[in-house]
Amino acid sequence: MILEAKDLNYFYQDGEQRRYILKDTSISFEKGKFYTILGQSGSGKTTLLSLLSALDSPHSGTVLFNNEDIKKIGYEKYRRNNVGIIFQSYNLIPTFTAVENVLIPMTITENDVPEDAKTVAYNLLDYIGIVKSKADRPVNKLSGGEQQRVAIARALATNVELILADEPTGNLDEEMEQEIIDIFKRLAHEHDKCVVVVTHSNEIALQSDQAFLLRKGVLTAYE
Amino acid sequence: MNFIKRGFLGITRKKGKSLILLAVIFILGNLISGAISIQQATTNVEANIKERLGATATVELDYEEMDKLSEADWENTVIEDLSVDLMKQIGELSYVKYYDFNIMHWLGSESIDSYQGDMEGEVVHHGPSMDFMLKGINYAPVLDIEEQKAKLVDGRVFTQEEVDNGTSVAIISNKLAEKNNLNVGDTFTLVNEVYTWDEETGEDNLVTSRDVVLEIIGIFESQTIKQDDSEGSSEMGGMMDFMDIEFQNTVYVPNPIIVDEMKYQYEEYLKADEEYAEMVAAEGEEASFEYYTPLYVLNNPEDSEAFAEEVAPLLPNLYKVHSATDQYDSIAGPVESMSNLSRYVLYAAIGATVLIIGLVVLLFLRDRKRELGIYLSLGEKRGRVIGQILIEVMVIALIAISLSLFTGNLIAGQVSETMINADDQSYQDDYMYYGGAIQTHLTTQDVLDSYEVSLNSSFVLAFFGIGLLTILISTVIPLIYILRLNPKKILM
Ligand SMILES: Nc1ncnc2c1ncn2[C@@H]1O[C@H](COP(=O)(O)OP(=O)(O)OP(=O)(O)O)[C@@H](O)[C@H]1O
Ligand SMILES: [Mg+2]
Repeated sequence: MILEAKDLNYFYQDGEQRRYILKDTSISFEKGKFYTILGQSGSGKTTLLSLLSALDSPHSGTVLFNNEDIKKIGYEKYRRNNVGIIFQSYNLIPTFTAVENVLIPMTITENDVPEDAKTVAYNLLDYIGIVKSKADRPVNKLSGGEQQRVAIARALATNVELILADEPTGNLDEEMEQEIIDIFKRLAHEHDKCVVVVTHSNEIALQSDQAFLLRKGVLTAYE
Repeated sequence: MNFIKRGFLGITRKKGKSLILLAVIFILGNLISGAISIQQATTNVEANIKERLGATATVELDYEEMDKLSEADWENTVIEDLSVDLMKQIGELSYVKYYDFNIMHWLGSESIDSYQGDMEGEVVHHGPSMDFMLKGINYAPVLDIEEQKAKLVDGRVFTQEEVDNGTSVAIISNKLAEKNNLNVGDTFTLVNEVYTWDEETGEDNLVTSRDVVLEIIGIFESQTIKQDDSEGSSEMGGMMDFMDIEFQNTVYVPNPIIVDEMKYQYEEYLKADEEYAEMVAAEGEEASFEYYTPLYVLNNPEDSEAFAEEVAPLLPNLYKVHSATDQYDSIAGPVESMSNLSRYVLYAAIGATVLIIGLVVLLFLRDRKRELGIYLSLGEKRGRVIGQILIEVMVIALIAISLSLFTGNLIAGQVSETMINADDQSYQDDYMYYGGAIQTHLTTQDVLDSYEVSLNSSFVLAFFGIGLLTILISTVIPLIYILRLNPKKILM
């Protein structure tokens, strides 16, 4: 198991009452597989992903990365070295070019970074479908689909084994959506990554190796 | 793309933002630079003028304090004399380089003529002549010579033995020596005449007299008039001449000689004026003639205040320390007011800078909230994110401050010139401190003349120090914002 969540509890205080978003939720993920997490709007998908990516901490329960509590690893360090995060709204830095955006995590991580980082960044973008001429453009001059590809390349730049994505195709048309999903499948199956994608879409869930459904704070397998 | 490179790219990629920040810091920098320029210039004037005023101090009666006394107060106030012991005790303080205590007396002569300079023949004598100022000294090498007010051009100074014993030896000026054809080794004669004054006729009557024969052991040349010649404002000229004539006719002698002559005069006068003698006898007080005026030369003009503070508790009632540098306050009016104004401007500019730059940086940060959140989500340390912003602001600040260093200094030069010219009119009436043990002849014009806004290294250092520190503080305060950023809330 590369990633394991145990008995996660997360709630919002609603006056006197606690409104649980996640209640004793447990889930685990393996390398080489493409996972999806389905759920209605407001069901707590983003909340779960934020806990798995150490952007937030649960009120109780643990998240283990390679059997080590990420709290022990250190949230910042875990984000820096062990996980690549992809957001619905891309979250690229608009003043920088695509390749510069990919280079940023390489200077932050403590993982080994190849000498010719820039070439690697170009290759990575090329692999994801961004040609060199577009790689040198400021990212706000790229289409939504292109921007999300850059975001995927950025997530891969630190050579992590775990990719977490929150509705990565939410802002894209169907054709673009399929291309992105294909990339995720390739990453899981050809490059032995563990890819976890949160989505609304049944279509996507059907293409994953394993799908979960989040409802009323409880996760169940989705067939 | 580490945080340092990101910082520099942040400047070049967002030129509009950088230019706004540059302009704001430049404008505020000019205020700070100008204020510091004026501050420095006024401090330099103070040091310079105080240096020129010299490091001398004396102890004298505090007339201001005496004026405040009511009649009732006077009844129970006794003004003590300054004792020689106290003067010596003060002379032993560490601030004092050397010191003297003097007593003056004026005598005339029938055998030699006094030096009259350009006023030869203009001065008409009435009554007893008292052309020669005998200046009694206790410090054998003579303070005026040590302090380069006079230069020994022939012969020697006193020995301590001569001073203590009151040997009849004297040092006179070269002008006086030339006029009377006197040389070292010669003797000359002054007369100590005792007069009574007739109330009805208003005439002086010579009662008796005795000769004071002095041997010349040294000849001095005045050193003070030379500098003044070049500056020579005509109004001052007359005063300078008068002071010079008095100095040329000064005869340095050991203190006991003067005490002795005063005693003679007093005793002879008592014999001539019986009424007065009876009055004195009734009071039953022993007459003293040792009314010395001490003069302390300090190691450094800057010590003046500390010296005065240390001496004050030792002094008898109604005495105070008067330092040559005290005069600074009375002639430095325009410079002082400029110094005060620039100090307020400086404080206001620093305050405004912290406020304005703080707000501008905060606005920029809020604008870039998402970018900062991204760095944090990628696991960047908050310290480095702060570092990146600091680089962005401080590099721009460095450029803006460097530019305003010159312009602010220039503006300060212009502004103070205008202020000085405006002030010039109101300070025409120059005031000179004349009399007592300390004589200075610097005027407000001298102060203004020595005022100069310059671009020296201490200014550059002070400005960069204060300027950059102010910007740093104004940046650090809004950076607290970064510490509180929650990347989940921003990005998800
Ligand atoms: N600050 C908050 N205070 C109270 N409740 C909140 C807060 N933030 C989120 N919630 C609630 O938590 C629940 C889970 O939110 P979350 O964003 O995880 O849902 P989601 O499944 O990602 O929804 P979506 O599909 O719309 O993105 C929602 O019902 C939301 O209203
Ligand atoms: Mg969501």
